[in-house]
Amino acid sequence: MVVLRAGLCPGLTEDMIQLLRANGIRTVVDFVSSDLEDVAQKCSLSYKALVAVRRVLLAQFSAFPTNGADLYEELKSSTAILPTGSPGLDKLLDSGLYTGEVTELMGAPGSGKTQVCLGIAASVSLGLKQHVLFLDSTGGFTASRLYQMLRAQTEDEEEQARQVLGRLRLCFVLQLEALQRIQVVRVFNIYELLRALQELRDHLSQQVLSSVGPLKMVLLDSVSAVIYPLLGGRQSEGLALMMQLSRELKTLAREFSLAVVVTNQVTRDSSSGPLKPALGRSWSFVPSTRVLLESREGTWEKGTTQRAASLAKSPRQPTGIQVELDIG
Amino acid sequence: MQREVGTLPLAPALRARLAAAGFQTAQELLDTGPCGLSKEIGISREEALEVLQVVRQECHGDAARTAGGSGATRKCTALELLEEEQSQGFIITFCSALDNILGGGVQLTKITEICGAPGVGKTQLCMQLAVDVQIPECFGGVAGEAVFIDTEGSFMVDRVADIAAACVQHCHLIAEAQQEEDLRKALETFSLENILSHIYYFRCRDYTELLAQVYLLPEFLSEHSKVRLVVIDGIAFPFRHDFEDLSLRTRLLNGLAQQLIIIANDHKSAVVLTNQMTTRIGQSQSTLVPALGESWGHAATVRLIFHWDNSQRLATLYKSPSQKESTIAYHITSHGFRDVQPPAVTHSTEGTEPNPRKRPRTEEEKQ
Repeated sequence: MVVLRAGLCPGLTEDMIQLLRANGIRTVVDFVSSDLEDVAQKCSLSYKALVAVRRVLLAQFSAFPTNGADLYEELKSSTAILPTGSPGLDKLLDSGLYTGEVTELMGAPGSGKTQVCLGIAASVSLGLKQHVLFLDSTGGFTASRLYQMLRAQTEDEEEQARQVLGRLRLCFVLQLEALQRIQVVRVFNIYELLRALQELRDHLSQQVLSSVGPLKMVLLDSVSAVIYPLLGGRQSEGLALMMQLSRELKTLAREFSLAVVVTNQVTRDSSSGPLKPALGRSWSFVPSTRVLLESREGTWEKGTTQRAASLAKSPRQPTGIQVELDIG
Repeated sequence: MQREVGTLPLAPALRARLAAAGFQTAQELLDTGPCGLSKEIGISREEALEVLQVVRQECHGDAARTAGGSGATRKCTALELLEEEQSQGFIITFCSALDNILGGGVQLTKITEICGAPGVGKTQLCMQLAVDVQIPECFGGVAGEAVFIDTEGSFMVDRVADIAAACVQHCHLIAEAQQEEDLRKALETFSLENILSHIYYFRCRDYTELLAQVYLLPEFLSEHSKVRLVVIDGIAFPFRHDFEDLSLRTRLLNGLAQQLIIIANDHKSAVVLTNQMTTRIGQSQSTLVPALGESWGHAATVRLIFHWDNSQRLATLYKSPSQKESTIAYHITSHGFRDVQPPAVTHSTEGTEPNPRKRPRTEEEKQ
């Protein structure tokens, strides 16, 4: 519903707009859907000028259909699959995280969502040498744990080279470089998050390579922490903001070929009901893949590092597949 | 500046009017100017000016913020964060086993939640931490002050005085053993009166007072910049009774959690909360779980659960971003929170001084 403004297209002058407005045509939709002969008569404007303006407006504002084959070719060349560093999780996600899509990790507190996110960031930054943006809204990002994971990953690869001092220093340099490729932004409410996403969009569209680099992944931990304070009650503003956020995330993923990973909480209907993902029905349409993380034991008295991950929603795999993950 | 109008922090009614008038991006608002805006939407000139100020702040404020303010959208790489974390101190608890499983002590800039049944020692640990945060840096502390927000009325000044006296004595012993000049100088300012005068105490009687206190806390903390610990003893208590609307409770609790995370982050202080336990009745058994529901479990970054095992008190680290889950035993003595003495010392199990406020655990009551 874009308002008609002078300068929107050549030929649309201020006088024309005033005349159109006097006859009740304020937005582009009104203009394009009205009968131009009628309008030409009522506003005493030239029919040819109106047709020219309409052509330009249609070209500017309409969406063009593409056929499936073109879309397939385009996706084949622009989609990348990023391995997560954990073979079990890769098997669940059909060999990795697809760019252009939003993937969701959900789980109860202490089930390992932040750990899995840190593992993914470490693996993408170290193994694929891509830049990663980590949006932290819970304060759970611990750089020392990330460094521990990076050390474990480089030591896996360079086991025999440890005797040679030069290679050991190389390990250290690799880890430092990997840490520098991960950018962390702390956002603690929805407006800060939207602002951070807008800044990211500006950077990517201007292709400023200095700080962002070849960005391939955006991790958001967690999305429910910023949206929960707005939902509920009788106001629908929370839902509107949630949908704005989901649109931002999806268009970022699609336009710039990023893999977006978000973490979500789980809630219960009543004190003994089954666990279900938070944020409700409207949010459940946003991610294309959903993975549920659970601890093995029912109570909290035994401490283990084993987690069970199951696929709750996927466009490519059958749901219900379960794998074991080790977040130690 | 292609920021959408729907993402700007304006009042919902104003946003609805802007959408109805056809404005889509922030740039269009800035181009229209205040007079055009007030005419199109039907608001007064002053309101239009305010709206434009908000828009300008949102779009252009980033430049000022990244120049080094305390804005929460400060970006940094993981490497810079690692350096910051490694130079940060911990607040020790005087129980070395607990410090070990926490990775050194209670971490600054994170929210730690302590859950437990009544009488297990949550308030004792809070009082111990309020004293320990003031230990001078040469003894391994963070030399900060403490804010204690009490909702249950369980803060006992004489008990804090006992704990503080024991802590001062401990530091004196260390200083004498090591015979260093700076240790002795630091001890001159580390006295009982000093410790007690740097614990700022607030009493909140219901949830509105608690919410108001937390919203006013950033101002207080910017005046008292040495505060390194904020304790809220009993966050469950005001929210568990007289709440009919549970979705309102979830919303308030989550908003409170976000406020606390902002405080912890901006002022580099540790936030410690205590929570109660409730029973969840399953198909065949009932388990004790932390109160306030599933969504509250995500608010704290580190979660400790205190529980009993016969007559031994145990602490379990249930949730932490950097440490493994584990369980240790601890003791509460007349000097405060301490380790369990090794079994060679025979008077260990009877050495627990009964805390005069809580009823002692006896065999009959354990049914």
